[in-house]
Amino acid sequence: MPHVDTAELFDEHGRCLPGRTSAPAHARSRRYFRCNMPTIDDGEIHRRIRRHLAPSLRIREDEFCDRVEHLRAGLRDDPATRNLLAGPVLPFALPQLQVEDIGESFDARFLPALDAAYRAALTDYEFVDHSLGGTAGKLSVRPGSRHQSLLAALARGEVVGLYMPCLSEYSLPAAVERLAALPERFLLSGAFDTAAALIGTPDLLLREDGYPPLLWISGVAGEKPGVDYHFEAYGYNLTFNRRAHLDQAAEYWWHGLTILAAD
Amino acid sequence: MSCTREADSGLTAGEAAKRNDLATRKPYVAAKLARITEMEERGEISPIIRVEKSYLCNFQCTHCSAEYYMDRHFKKVFKIADERRKIDLDDIRELSRQADELGLARFVITGGEPLVMKDFDAVVEAIDPDRHYIITDTNGWFLDAARARHLKSIGVEKVQLSLDSMVEAEHDAFRNKKGSYKRVMRAIDAALEAGLNLILSTVLVKGRASTAEFREMCRFCAERGIGLYVSYAKPTGSCTEHPEFVIDKQDADLVRELEKQYPVFTHMTPSYGSFKGCITVKGIITVTSTGEVTPCPYIDFSLGNLRETPLAEILARGMRNPWLGPHRPDCLIGEDPQFIRIHTEKTRGATHLPLRWGEGFSDQDSLLEA
Repeated sequence: MPHVDTAELFDEHGRCLPGRTSAPAHARSRRYFRCNMPTIDDGEIHRRIRRHLAPSLRIREDEFCDRVEHLRAGLRDDPATRNLLAGPVLPFALPQLQVEDIGESFDARFLPALDAAYRAALTDYEFVDHSLGGTAGKLSVRPGSRHQSLLAALARGEVVGLYMPCLSEYSLPAAVERLAALPERFLLSGAFDTAAALIGTPDLLLREDGYPPLLWISGVAGEKPGVDYHFEAYGYNLTFNRRAHLDQAAEYWWHGLTILAAD
Repeated sequence: MSCTREADSGLTAGEAAKRNDLATRKPYVAAKLARITEMEERGEISPIIRVEKSYLCNFQCTHCSAEYYMDRHFKKVFKIADERRKIDLDDIRELSRQADELGLARFVITGGEPLVMKDFDAVVEAIDPDRHYIITDTNGWFLDAARARHLKSIGVEKVQLSLDSMVEAEHDAFRNKKGSYKRVMRAIDAALEAGLNLILSTVLVKGRASTAEFREMCRFCAERGIGLYVSYAKPTGSCTEHPEFVIDKQDADLVRELEKQYPVFTHMTPSYGSFKGCITVKGIITVTSTGEVTPCPYIDFSLGNLRETPLAEILARGMRNPWLGPHRPDCLIGEDPQFIRIHTEKTRGATHLPLRWGEGFSDQDSLLEA
């Protein structure tokens, strides 16, 4: 692997700086749209994921917490990635899965689990899936996203990871381009990891005093060029939807990075 | 997961029924409306075009966004007349033609009070109801049964009627016109009996969303089967003198919650399968009486003048502007403090609004402070 100078990769708020991407990304941010900084309780996240997504999860709560802490320590101990911890860092676990069709698994398992987790945590509000006709047969690993490694890990066994929505104000091609300059352990977040992070921490996008960003699941590509899928708040509710982005940047549009614990 | 939309089209059952009805009467217009979703997926836009041909008005409302464009304001405040050239019916025909060429499908006749315009029927004809879906705003004062039937007969499809309180005295006081509440109630019956599509429009000032009065208005609309369009008070026009009217996110979120129970919506509520957030340029533009095109009714910065610049280029200017083009979930002029400050500073003391292209908006705009 070529040496990557990561000293200037993340700013003091945990934002991944875009550097000189050729695709559109905002060089600086006025930080108008922001994620909530939710209280992270690793044990509660494990319990939520077991309750709503993976009842037969074999990883015990203490193991989960240890592996999450190990991942955090890895980020904290590296000067190049330390700043990431200034932004939201959401632990998640995923059950073992042999994925034939990303969309089919997502519709059948992840969206209902997110619906249940959201309603359980935020009883007055709801999760709404606006994607017409579901995503079965429509999602594929995006070239350059490194997301294939998550699917490979899922096929081998249960997965623990961290989800970090730090690619803020990037166009989708710029997010892919930026990923190429990051260490190999970073993946562009996709459908399963983003949903699992939200199942574990349902209030990530709930803000009362301002607006949170839209989160693309950019590790996976939709069925049509320039049109992709995302999570987005609507008031205090959470929604899943698709929209045209046409490779443009917006301060409202963010992407996530994921890192996985070793098997 | 709750989802009340039709699986194939993204339309609600009510939206689909209205589209089907329109398709039998005006197939060309219905076909254009049906193409909007695929246009948006190609990155094309289909804004509603609001036409302010005249600012004549029989009311003087506390929150009027058009007050500073009115002849009475020029005379009273600046002691001058507005000498700028005004748009005429030929300009509207040309606008209609260019809009049709771009696939745009919807016009709103507004003002001022459209129903005091002597040439209202001619404006409808110039827009061409067989090519475009035509809506008119009104305060309801002149909308009796005969006028409503007449509007329907000349091709107007929809009426957007202003009602600012369910308490008669409050509405009349806000509108500075005694008797106006009763006229609105009459207009509701008249519009529905004439078969016009009807929505009520109400201004949301800070704190109102949580009042019993507002809840009563939501209930009233649900019972009558009428949509309630909620317009946030913006710090422009007459409202410049009432910054206390400007809402905060909690007000906006309260309305979003009420959408679950009542037929209430704002300009950012997803509709007809379209989720575009703030609709500046993407979902609406305003053509002022001088041919200037602004990105929303409340932003007094022009993107160009139709006599000098083709509509397509004006829309392109808007879409490449960092404030206007990108998707955002909040109201730019109603909620973004930085933009509100820029707008207030640039328009302060200006006699002729909107500020022309280059004076308010320009291709050098940035989200970041200089």
